[in-house]
Amino acid sequence: MSIMSYNGSAIIAMAGKDCVGIAADRRLGIQLKTVSTDFTKTFQMQPKLFVGLAGLATDVQTLHNLLEFRMSLFKLREERDMPPEVVNNLLSTLLYEKRFGPYFVEPIVAGLDEDNKPFLSCMDLIGSSVKANDFVVSGTCTGNMFGMCEALYRPDLNPDELFEALAQSLLSSVDRDAMSGWGGVVHIITKDGVMTKELKGRMD
Amino acid sequence: MSMNKMTLLPPLMASSEGSVPFRLGPVEEDPCDHGITSRPIEHRFSPYDFNGGTVAAIAGDDYVVVAADTRLSSGYEILSRDTTKLHAVTTNCVLASSGCKTDVDQLRSVLDIRGKIYQHNHRKSMSTPSVAQMLSNTLYYKRFFPYYAFNLLAGLDQEGKGAVYSYDAIGSFERSQYSANGSGQAYVIPLLDNLIGNRNRTTPKPDLSVEEVVEILKDAFLNAGERDIYTGDQVEIIVLRKDQPVSRQLFALKAD
Repeated sequence: MSIMSYNGSAIIAMAGKDCVGIAADRRLGIQLKTVSTDFTKTFQMQPKLFVGLAGLATDVQTLHNLLEFRMSLFKLREERDMPPEVVNNLLSTLLYEKRFGPYFVEPIVAGLDEDNKPFLSCMDLIGSSVKANDFVVSGTCTGNMFGMCEALYRPDLNPDELFEALAQSLLSSVDRDAMSGWGGVVHIITKDGVMTKELKGRMD
Repeated sequence: MSMNKMTLLPPLMASSEGSVPFRLGPVEEDPCDHGITSRPIEHRFSPYDFNGGTVAAIAGDDYVVVAADTRLSSGYEILSRDTTKLHAVTTNCVLASSGCKTDVDQLRSVLDIRGKIYQHNHRKSMSTPSVAQMLSNTLYYKRFFPYYAFNLLAGLDQEGKGAVYSYDAIGSFERSQYSANGSGQAYVIPLLDNLIGNRNRTTPKPDLSVEEVVEILKDAFLNAGERDIYTGDQVEIIVLRKDQPVSRQLFALKAD
């Protein structure tokens, strides 16, 4: 039993042409028992920025609150939205502060920067982060998700095509993982706003 | 953490595959010592090595396509860039195996011998479902010291339809329309679920031709080669069609 697969999760974020999408499953389990089918793992921290948190559920919620707190402080002091790159660095620092007793989460940051260009990054549980142009994945079925994204991703997808790619990648990946699934949610962020859709998938 | 503690630490078993404490569960020990001076360590030779690689197969109405990469590796080293993972058991049947090469080689020898004996006794070569059962029996024969081989059997059945059988290391098998095995299995199977099994799609299931299926497999291996370090170099693709000679092609992947 690994701590990172105690609750189960699957999160993918992908970049399109002037848009980003982030998709996550809805399952909350306690090892093999499913406890909730509407557990939120993606959080809209700002109008054009989402943070996805995969891993131990208690740390998902704690880190969300911590991040909300720190981002609110930033907004009060600097009177501007936090750019995605800065959110990435903040998360990285917050996680490394707990280097020898970490939060068991592997976050994903997905958003549009000031020029509405896509920003994607993912991190390990102690804050080592990696930026990507195409897609990032996190959760209990990363092998499955990498395979699907590698196959279905193309550069410069428009929001509808991005939604299809994300939805198919997520659903097919979680169907081969016992710890994730039970529905899905996709958010597509464009300069005009956020489109959120729930996915119909296998409920097992 | 005092060195004078009375609790006895479980012995450590060290092998070429890594070190494991004999008793499962968290072990309380001096963080600097790692148990080296305070517990017995048993050194053990591990009879298995993982030589990597991915195999996949897809069955159609009158054809079957089987593909395997040609990389042989051990740890982080590449031992060979052009070893085959495919083996023709009969003219109608190909065995694709990944795992430990020496076990795979031995398994192929045993299957060849048993196939020849069958041929002598029955005056005909084995049909694909028979090979499938024989492979399962051969694997289960070594239930308590298994062949470290992850097998896929691809062939044409008695009616000329494509058949794919996938196995675990001790002989449990199932016939299906498509399958993948080996180190890149996780990267390939969800894609085949989506494109061949038409899962999570509301559009009607398309009829795929051999050429389209070969292209799908090439794409799947390209993707597995990107993300899996044990998969790469080349992909060997064999197509078995009813009443046609066996076609074999090599497709280059990244050599990194």
